[in-house]
This record gives sequence, C-alpha cells and structure tokens, in this order.
Amino acid sequence: MNILKQELRMARTTLVIWCIALIGVLSLFMLLYPSISGQLEEFQKVFESFPLEFQQAFGVADLELSSILSFYQFALMYVLLAGAIQAMNMGVSIISAEVREKTGDFLFVKPVSRNRVVSMKILAVLVQILITNAIFFTAALILVTLLSTTSYNVKLFALVTLSLLFIQIFFASLGLFVSVFLRRIRTVLPISMGVVFIFYIIHLLNETLKDEKLGLVSPFDYFNLSEITKNMNYDSLNLLLWFVLVGVFIFLTFKLFARKDLPSI
Amino acid sequence: MNVIEINQLTKYYGKHRGIENVSFSVEEGEIFGFIGPNGAGKSTTIRALLALIHPTSGSATIFGKDCLKYGSEIRRDIGYLPSEVFYYEHMKVREVLNYSASFYDNVDYNRIQSLAEVMDLDLNKRIDDLSYGNKKKVGIIQGLLHEPKLIILDEPTGGLDPLMQQKFFELIRAENQKGATVLFSSHILSEVQKLCGRVAIIKDGTIVRVENIRDMQKHNYKKFTLDYKGIIDVHHFNLEGVTNLTVRENTLHFLFKGDINRIVERLQGQNLLNLLVEEPSLEEIFMHYYQKEELP
Repeated sequence: MNILKQELRMARTTLVIWCIALIGVLSLFMLLYPSISGQLEEFQKVFESFPLEFQQAFGVADLELSSILSFYQFALMYVLLAGAIQAMNMGVSIISAEVREKTGDFLFVKPVSRNRVVSMKILAVLVQILITNAIFFTAALILVTLLSTTSYNVKLFALVTLSLLFIQIFFASLGLFVSVFLRRIRTVLPISMGVVFIFYIIHLLNETLKDEKLGLVSPFDYFNLSEITKNMNYDSLNLLLWFVLVGVFIFLTFKLFARKDLPSI
Repeated sequence: MNVIEINQLTKYYGKHRGIENVSFSVEEGEIFGFIGPNGAGKSTTIRALLALIHPTSGSATIFGKDCLKYGSEIRRDIGYLPSEVFYYEHMKVREVLNYSASFYDNVDYNRIQSLAEVMDLDLNKRIDDLSYGNKKKVGIIQGLLHEPKLIILDEPTGGLDPLMQQKFFELIRAENQKGATVLFSSHILSEVQKLCGRVAIIKDGTIVRVENIRDMQKHNYKKFTLDYKGIIDVHHFNLEGVTNLTVRENTLHFLFKGDINRIVERLQGQNLLNLLVEEPSLEEIFMHYYQKEELP
C-alpha cells in the first residue's frame, strides 16, 4: 500500500490540473448553449447545408441541437479526446518514470517483487481515473441540469458520460503496454498525443466511411456517442473487444516488465 | 558460509559485452572489494545480484538463495548504495527516507535521525535543493537504515568530501563489526586497500583474479618519472624490481616494486631537472596483471 500512497501523492497536482482542464473544456462549450439556443434552428440549417461527408466528419450529422444532450455529446467528444490523452499519459509515464527519473535504483532494490510494483502502479492509475470520472460526472451533471430548460434523459446522460471511463481505461492500459514495450522513453507527451490523435483521426474517418471493420480499430468508435443515443446502450461486441484488449495489454505489461532489464545510469 | 556466490555469470546487452563468466564468492562478515576501471563490468555484476538485470547465463545466490527467484525476499536484508543517486525530486529528505523505511519490517525510525546527525544532513530539505554530495548522504542513510546483513556499495565515495568519506568508512566498519557483510565496488585502489580484506579484480568483463589485500600490498608499486638534463643512461636503473622502463626524449619512466632506498641510492649523482614519484594508476596495475597472466 505504501507504493500506491506514494504514487497518488506524486500525481496529486497533475490530477487536479487535468480535472480542471476537462471540466473547463466542457464548460466552454456548454456555456455557449444558452446564447445559441435561441437561434438553434438557424444553426441547424447552417449545419445541414454542409455536404453530408463534412457533417459526418465533424460529428454534427446526427446533431439535434434542440436537445441539450445532443449538444452535450458534441462537447463531450472533445472531453473524450483530452481524457484519452490524460489516461495515456498516466499509463506511459507511471512505470517509465522510474527509468526516466532514474529512481529505479531506489524502488526496485526494495524487498518487493516487480509484479507487486506494477500492480500497485496500475491500481494508482485506476484510482486516478475513477477520481477523474467521479469529479467530471458530477460537474457535467450540474452543468447540464442548470442549463437545460426542459427535462432530459438521465440514463442517456450517464451512458454517454461513462464512455469517458471506458476510453480512459483503454488508453491507460495501452500506455502501460507501450511503456514496457519500448526500450527507453525519454518524453511521454509526444507518444500519448500521437497515439491518441491517430485513433481519433481513424474515428473521424470512419464517421464518413461507416466501415464496420475500421470501426473495430479505434476505441472512440467502440463508444460512438450517436450509436449509444440510438440504441440506449453500449454495443456488446465492442464492449467485449474493449475488455479483451485491456486484458491483453495489462497481461503483457506484467509479462514484459518482469523480464525487462533496468539499464544502469 | 558464503553470503554471495556468483557462478559463471554472463551478461550481454545485445551483442555488447557486459560481463563474461564472472565467478567469485563473498564470505559472511568480510568486507570484499570489487575493483576495476570504468566500464569493466562492476555495476553490471551488482545489478545482476540485485535482479535489476537478467543475466544471459550463469547464476548467483545471496544467503544461499537464487537472486532472481527469491529476489524480493533476499532484498529485505540488502542495503544498496548506487554510484549515482536519484530520488523523487519534489519530496523532502525525511519523506524519502520514511518511504524507504516503509518497505521493511521493524525499522527503528530513530536510526534515520541518528544517521542524519552523523552524516550532517538536514532532513527537512527538499531533494531537488540538495547538492550531489548531500544526495549521496541520503543514499547512504537509506542504504543503512534497515540494518541490512549485506551492504552493497557501488562506487560510493564520489561526491563526498574527504571528511565525509572518513565518516562513511567508519560507518561501514561499524556495520561490519556488528556482523554485516560488505561488497565494496570502486575504481580507486587506495580506498579499497583501506577497507577491504579481499578483492576481486575485474577488467573487460572478466575477473582477472581474487586476492588478499595483504598480498596485494606486497605489490607496492611506485611510478617514477625522471626528467634529465643530459643524455640518459638507460642501464643505470637496470635493477631488480624495475618494470615498464621507457625512455621518451629526456624523460625516463618506470615502475618499481621493492625497497625504495635502492632507488634513492641510484638517484644520487644523476643530473635531473625534475623527479616525480606517484602511485601507479589502476590501469597500470592492471597492465601488470595482464602481463603476468600471459606468462606461462
């Protein structure tokens, strides 16, 4: 437990900043809602005048601006993007930091097995993700409730908001795997930004292509917000795929790190 | 009983050689020196002992248990001081030491305080405000605070001033007298001579020999450099105990082992500009070992 405590202590500031950033992104969009809600029909017309492919690429094809949840989903997409970067950052850095900051000679000569260190670090990431989601969920709920003029579907709100949790867990486990797979990591942010944006671009591409196989590539497609709205549930195949991939990434993280050499300074 | 037993340990980093067939053992209660020039494989051997790296072949046991298999169990009784120390920068010294202590059972927290007083270290400073030498002190304390049965020191004295080195050696001797076994790696022959009973000498990844310090002191080499005013009579120093005799322009170099008075006698009447008597560098001593190895 001492490792978990230590990891959370060290991550405190970063976690607070990310939570503020995620809520900030959402507020920025949502606070536009009252001022444009009066002219919603005109906005809708503007969007509809665009070519369909264009609408799809920007995620506004199925947009029903008249409903607050529809507008919320539009804003949430950017939160998911930022949240994915946050999670991937945590995943990539939490183990590799010991090598980058050269503190491995401290931690790994202590009487703990590597598997235990990895478990504690994964647990620390999970706790941070849960905290992020709890805070974000509460903030989003307050924002949407305050801004909505009519009642809205709370279950749908919960479903789309919780996609942040799933996407974060996915990218965190991917990050963990990447961090033990690569021989040495000097900087974290370029790796996580790069990977997240590649998946995001694949997702945007697939919004126009609507290719089923391509849809299996990007986790942003697993939790496609407009699909969730239509079905009022997550897609079970995608959920299964998510579960298997996260499991494989975590398993490989343990497996690869147990065999890894910690290079001398 | 052997506390450390290393058996044909080999480590390759890809094609790059780390160590090759390293074997030696350290007995309980001794201070064992591990000496060799930079890049010879001292750290590689130590890192394999601590299971920080995985050997390509061979094995090592500590307290009779395999280093890899029982790593976490063995490490309960090991204190390790790396050659360069790095800690979580935003923490205070006290927090780092308490964190370190939290990994062990039954740690006497007063010991942190008393060790800090001996080493003259302020526990309330932040790690990133510490100088190199002070970070090293943190390393020494975190290596000793759980009273380990085996202390592994990898070039520990770098960054410590002579006074601190002295205190550090005293600390190590005191731990040794309480029963701790010490593996002391260094590239400075004189500090190993001060502290150790036996030494293993490593060069280019292989153990050249394991020797008693007392036997080594018999090879008390001095390195002479003589600047002449005029022509050098090379045969003047052709006596027993002189090796590696070389002449370059007006300068004569040689290594000498034996009664120093015989050189002093020979020096009389020589027309010298300058005279330099030094401890030979480790490299030169190793050269000597290699030459001896090559003889039948």
